[in-house]
Amino acid sequence: MTDTADNAVNAGIGPDRTVAVREVFGIDTDLRVPAFTERGDHVPEVDPAYRFNRDVTLALLAGFAHNRRVMVQGLHGTGKSTHVEQVAARLNWPCIRINLDGHISRLDLVGRDAVVLRDGQQVTEFQEGIVPWALQRPVALVFDEYDAGRPDVMFVIQRILERDGRFTLLDQNRVLRPHRCFRLFATTNTVGLGNLNGLYHGAQRLNHAQVDRWNIVATLNYLPRDEEIAIVQARVPQLADAARRPLLESMVAVAELTRKGFAAGDLSTLMSPRTVISWAENLGIFGDPALAFRLSFVNKCDEAERPIVAEYFQRCFDRELDESCRG
Amino acid sequence: MGEAQARARHQQKVEELCAAAIRALAGESDLHFRGRRLHRGRHALPPFAPHLHPSLDSDDFASFRGAADGLALRLSRSDAALHRRLTPEDPVARLVFNLLEQIRVESLPPAGMPGVARNLRHRFDQWSLSFHRSGLTETSRGILLYTVAQVCRARVTGEPVLEETEDLLETTRGSIVPVLGHDLAALRRHRHDQAVYGRHAQSIAGLVAEMIHSADDERDDGEPGGTDDDDRTALARFMALDDAGTDGELAVAAAGRSRVLEASDDGYRVFTRAYDREFAAAALVRRPLLLAHRERLDGRIAGQGVNLARLARELKALLAVPTRDDWDAGQEEGHVDGRRLAQLIASPAERRLFRTERMEPAAQCLVTFLVDCSGSMKQHAESVAMLIDVLARALELAGVATEILGFTTGAWNGGRALRDWQRAGRPPHPGRLNEACHIVFKNADTPWRRARPEIAALLEPVLFREGVDGEAVDWACARMHARPHERRLLVVISDGCPMDTATSLANDPHYLDQHLREVVLRHEQARDVEIYALGVGLDLSPYYGRSHALDLSAPPGNGVFREIVAMLGGRARR
Repeated sequence: MTDTADNAVNAGIGPDRTVAVREVFGIDTDLRVPAFTERGDHVPEVDPAYRFNRDVTLALLAGFAHNRRVMVQGLHGTGKSTHVEQVAARLNWPCIRINLDGHISRLDLVGRDAVVLRDGQQVTEFQEGIVPWALQRPVALVFDEYDAGRPDVMFVIQRILERDGRFTLLDQNRVLRPHRCFRLFATTNTVGLGNLNGLYHGAQRLNHAQVDRWNIVATLNYLPRDEEIAIVQARVPQLADAARRPLLESMVAVAELTRKGFAAGDLSTLMSPRTVISWAENLGIFGDPALAFRLSFVNKCDEAERPIVAEYFQRCFDRELDESCRG
Repeated sequence: MGEAQARARHQQKVEELCAAAIRALAGESDLHFRGRRLHRGRHALPPFAPHLHPSLDSDDFASFRGAADGLALRLSRSDAALHRRLTPEDPVARLVFNLLEQIRVESLPPAGMPGVARNLRHRFDQWSLSFHRSGLTETSRGILLYTVAQVCRARVTGEPVLEETEDLLETTRGSIVPVLGHDLAALRRHRHDQAVYGRHAQSIAGLVAEMIHSADDERDDGEPGGTDDDDRTALARFMALDDAGTDGELAVAAAGRSRVLEASDDGYRVFTRAYDREFAAAALVRRPLLLAHRERLDGRIAGQGVNLARLARELKALLAVPTRDDWDAGQEEGHVDGRRLAQLIASPAERRLFRTERMEPAAQCLVTFLVDCSGSMKQHAESVAMLIDVLARALELAGVATEILGFTTGAWNGGRALRDWQRAGRPPHPGRLNEACHIVFKNADTPWRRARPEIAALLEPVLFREGVDGEAVDWACARMHARPHERRLLVVISDGCPMDTATSLANDPHYLDQHLREVVLRHEQARDVEIYALGVGLDLSPYYGRSHALDLSAPPGNGVFREIVAMLGGRARR
């Protein structure tokens, strides 16, 4: 059948060269990692402006090079999923992202019997789900929002979390052997303990027997100020000149204060790097930092918290926001 | 009175904003103001430097911002242990040393925050001006300390000295700079290194202290000092805030401590409980009078236009937790609903065959209001009664049980308890000397509708006498313990510290104060009851961990209720 033929073709595919991490990712290490020469259909687009975080990139590269299962945990807007995607893009490694949600069922992941039309006849045929499909191909499978998946359903992937774990298709009495270049990644907001801080509504508590099977857990949290500034500069080139550096520094300082305020329980929202980028973009549209700030962040805050945000703004910009209550 | 209440509210608002800024800047989450002092958790922090304590009377909001930023920098940039090790013994030297350390951290404002730098500068200038304008720079000690502060700050931060007093400094500057020159020069160079900076600051502090002490000696030697008193004031004003070493000690609130209570072995004492009474409100006030009060109260509440339904919804959102409650049938997914299977056969296209669990918010919660019925509360009686009546009704709508309790005394000035004490020959330290009187306006089992007349008894002026808060809080907590509810909230409404003349005279003025603090602390630590305090025009933070000042000079409207909901929701953290 075509399936087997496909498998035979896929089996031969694999990374055919190695690349230097220093050149491709700009990280100071002598490591070389395997990569593909040809870009397949599933290889994500390269974003030249993307800045790699050293620790997380090394963790992901270990996942690609040594077949480790890597989970990336971090607050929202820190670019976890993009990070995996961009590493795959640089290695020309096909990559498929699946957004998990509470309604993904075992049938979706493993496959189901479906009625298809063949030669004018209705026949029932087994159709593979995404997991068996990806398992037999040189593909990096990324489970986004891993903690949104229902823990009982996630046991489906328990076996393939092991490095050479085979996958049994009960419906077909078949045992699948993973492709040697199959890789599995996951991104998550929480560490599997549920919605502790009230930010991540809908996050499930994960089974720790499963969390334990992830070989590497990388944490991507908010970056040092200089790195964050560099990211904003890369994203919004109008702000990249040296003269606007103090402005950017103040913007990132406000974001840092909101994060600390969140940690202290004063705010129930915080500014992610994504918010800072959209603030910078809106600044290009509106011209006024205070107005752009209000439209990008302040209006997302609870009304009672706005004076506090206005205090942060005054500290960093030395001017008043309309929301401030000046005594 | 209205003005005082508004001021207390304003002060609290400013402090909340400043505390939020300090928490974010210093990156510490348990910092807050209690009784105008910055606390870390339950411990008061040392005052650090004289210019970090602006007052609402004389200083603008920017000064508060500057002081907050100064405190935040001090907490985040200065190593407290190292600072303590280096601090000199002599009080004057210690004062100068503390100030120099503050100047050091203020010279290092965080990058990207020009507003912080401006706030700090503004605050220091304001403080300098007020020091100068109050005439303290005309005394010899005053001008010396002032010059040291100005010159050192200008040297370390590289900013110019205050223009208005620049000429004034010249003479003193001329005489001290040759002595301090070497260390002064080193300060700026080493401002990034606290240890090295500290050594130079130590030597400056020592030299300044020597100058002041030698000036003292000269004066003692001869001439009767006319300006001596003024001189001492200057120093006192500078030093007023300096009590280094309180770091780590328990908070000393404005209310003060009771020596008698601390010295006694068996703790808080009550001279006699023979006359203590507990009444139902209906037993204290005649029925027709209650009904008349009720009519008045209803008229007032109707005039306020409080949005009861919304208040009830907000309270429910706050206090209720989702609980499983029955099934929702006719769903497109979920558990198969056996009763619908026949329908599947009749109409195979119908897919709504499932049922899901329904989660409903339910409040397993008891809220008790404890009203201080002391004499001074009489003037707020109407507002307080309205407040409680509306809250009780809204809480009932939200499915929360409520109790309304009050405390007062059976008589003025000790009553029969005092008489017994006098007859017994006035033994020392008798403890509480009055007839405690506890009133139940509404218990948890009575619905609001039935308790309406009794709630109106809050308007009865005869009930308002004196108050023994600590015992009342204990009593309310004990009542709450007897109830099966999972969560218990006690809301104390009061306008002042505990007040009982006889007890204060026979023991000492802070006897009841300290007992109240101990009782509240005990319950807060046991976490059995969440205690909240609503201060009527007063900041109750010295007594209660979670308090909020209310402005009841106008009858309570939607705004006041929003504040209360916010306090219960933990947004007001104090």
